[in-house]
Amino acid sequence: MANKLETIDVHLHYGDFHALKGITMAIPENSVTALIGPSGCGKSTYLRLFNRMNDLIPFTRITGQVLLDGEDIYQIKSSKIDALRRNVGMVFQKPNPFPKSIFENVAYGLRVNGITDNSFIENQVEKTLHQAALWDEVKDKLKKSAFELSGGQQQRLCIARALAIEPSIILMDEPASALDPLSTGKIEDLIFELKSKYTIIIVTHNMQQAGRVSDHTGFFYLGELIEFDKTKKIFTNPAKQETENYITGRFG
Amino acid sequence: MTHLDSELKMLKADIIEMWRLVINQLDKAKDALTNFDRDLAEEVVENEKRVNSYELKIDRDCENIFALFQPVATDLRLVLATMKICNNLERIGDIAASVADFVLDADTDFNKSILEHTKILEMYAIANEMIADTLEAFDKEDTRLARTMFKRDKILDKIDEAALDRVMECIQNYPEQVRNSLLVMSMIRKLERVGDQSKNIAEEIIFYFEAKVLKHKKKKQKEGDE
Amino acid sequence: MTFPESNERRKKLGQAVMFGVSRVISYGIVALLFLILFFIVKQGIGVVNWEFLTAMPTDGMTKGGIYPAIMGTLYLVAGSMLFAFPVGVMAGIYVNEFAKAGPMKRFVKMMTNNLAGVPSIIFGLFGMALFVNQMGFGASILAGSLTLGLLALPIVIRTTEEALKSVDDTFRQASYALGGSKLYTIRKVVLPIALPNILTGLILAVGRVSGETAPILFTVAAYFLPKLPGSIMDQCMALPYHLYVISTSGTQIEASRPMAYGTAFVLVVIVLIVNLLATLLRNYFGNKVKMN
Repeated sequence: MANKLETIDVHLHYGDFHALKGITMAIPENSVTALIGPSGCGKSTYLRLFNRMNDLIPFTRITGQVLLDGEDIYQIKSSKIDALRRNVGMVFQKPNPFPKSIFENVAYGLRVNGITDNSFIENQVEKTLHQAALWDEVKDKLKKSAFELSGGQQQRLCIARALAIEPSIILMDEPASALDPLSTGKIEDLIFELKSKYTIIIVTHNMQQAGRVSDHTGFFYLGELIEFDKTKKIFTNPAKQETENYITGRFG
Repeated sequence: MTHLDSELKMLKADIIEMWRLVINQLDKAKDALTNFDRDLAEEVVENEKRVNSYELKIDRDCENIFALFQPVATDLRLVLATMKICNNLERIGDIAASVADFVLDADTDFNKSILEHTKILEMYAIANEMIADTLEAFDKEDTRLARTMFKRDKILDKIDEAALDRVMECIQNYPEQVRNSLLVMSMIRKLERVGDQSKNIAEEIIFYFEAKVLKHKKKKQKEGDE
Repeated sequence: MTFPESNERRKKLGQAVMFGVSRVISYGIVALLFLILFFIVKQGIGVVNWEFLTAMPTDGMTKGGIYPAIMGTLYLVAGSMLFAFPVGVMAGIYVNEFAKAGPMKRFVKMMTNNLAGVPSIIFGLFGMALFVNQMGFGASILAGSLTLGLLALPIVIRTTEEALKSVDDTFRQASYALGGSKLYTIRKVVLPIALPNILTGLILAVGRVSGETAPILFTVAAYFLPKLPGSIMDQCMALPYHLYVISTSGTQIEASRPMAYGTAFVLVVIVLIVNLLATLLRNYFGNKVKMN
């Protein structure tokens, strides 16, 4: 499997705070990579490297290389950042559908990027809602407000919204932590379905979730990548004592 | 289908493949015995490695499923049952290899009359049927079929009990086949174990499908379940 | 371990006293409000009838109605909001969404807060100097509306800013992640979510503006003008100012006393109605973007 994303000795500072300390890691294509670790370990910050969301935070400094398909995304022209972000979908912790109809939420990414062909948009919305396993639940109320959906449905809608512009990478920042177990299960199944077409990186506090959905797991602690390996290896026989302590709940 | 479901499906497919391989091994060992086919016996001994690698793979898969998915209820029972069935199948594989080894130890054909008189072929037929039926019981979720193992195992036990006398008679009647008669005795002792393994497998199948633990219950109770 | 019984009793007593005092105070405030309302209603309701609401004042403002004052107040409220709302919202958007964190942003925010604390008579004098004299609008609805608008501006700016700040950042990030520009994101995502809270600011501003007397004193208000204004360059009457004159400087203060209570009553009712309407409006939009 080719490496879709790669970081080489990446350091990130927020002002005086050294948030990422020389992370070198390669993320294979069409697989799920989970990032685990205690709060404040840098895993979310690391996730946000890939669509340059950290740029939005003032006083952020980044050194090292972040390669997407071999190209350093921190060397591209600023006019290409939107194109980068189109290629990298993102799903957040709390479901955050826009204050629009279900249909318009999914269509948002298409419209924002200047697509006006309505029949194309309709096809794309339907296709994407199918992909997100939501179509059957919403096909009769596409014009209704997205806020009428349940939390789990809203999160799948947010995934559909990200999928609509056909990215190749999806970043998920604790996508199920605000959901009940049933909805969480559906999101996990969806992630499993999607990995044949997308490269998925998921930050999670839930170790069992990392085990269930991911192929590779990276354990972060205090801004460092302690261990990165196949999930099976991490969960059955981790190489580092810190990893062992964390996944067995004997931390600190 | 959820991720766990697909993992369990693969696990089931693997254990069934192993099952078939073991049945095949047992069959070939029997053919090697009746036809005194040394090459076939060699093949069985050689193939034992494949059985072992299946055991390792399934063990590792079960371990991963426990670590990554924390299965519960029926899923948990399936993984637990699979681990134990796998263990039993590996032993049956060993038995097949031992029988083949004994065939290789013989220096002449086995006298047909010895095979008849010691009832080893009859025993072999029953053992083969039992193990094939455990697979069917597992595959078709047929716990009634699984329960027949307890009675059938007794037939094997009886043949085994009578084996010593019969082998001694053979030694008296066919002095040129002393070595082979003793080898047949060893095979019978081994084949008797197939019945026990099948019984263990049957218990696991019943545990998986009905969540009833049959182990270490008294024999009478087991039969009462029927 | 055993805990002394006396401690439990002391805790309970302390609680009872504290809660009792707060309860009395809060009920007292509500009672005071009702007392004022009751007083105004009692004194004013007898005067209010259809004629009072629709007729011009006559006989030195001791008879007739207050129609031009009602309409004048509505004009001024509408005019001031027409100015303050777009300007204030845009300023709020700038401060919260575009301005870079730093001393400049802090200075702008501090000045906005200071502006909110400036006495209204200062706004009146400023309005007179700038709009009436310097810009040559004369005493007119335009000059009065702009002055009132200035008064309302800090309220609108601050509530807009707060409303935008309370929009979860992930909404913006989600839009950026889809390739949305900053402006598109604000227009299509952030503003719709913040709208209910921005409208709260509008309500507060309307309430403030409709009751102000000082800013219109020199910029628009007519002492006695028994007709409706013809254009925005005309003067007009206004309820608070009308109330002020008939209770302090009318020709026959005693004779116009009932008129004064009637006017007060109408002013209170108008403010309540405008508040109610704005609340309904906010709830309508609020339901549309309700978070779970």
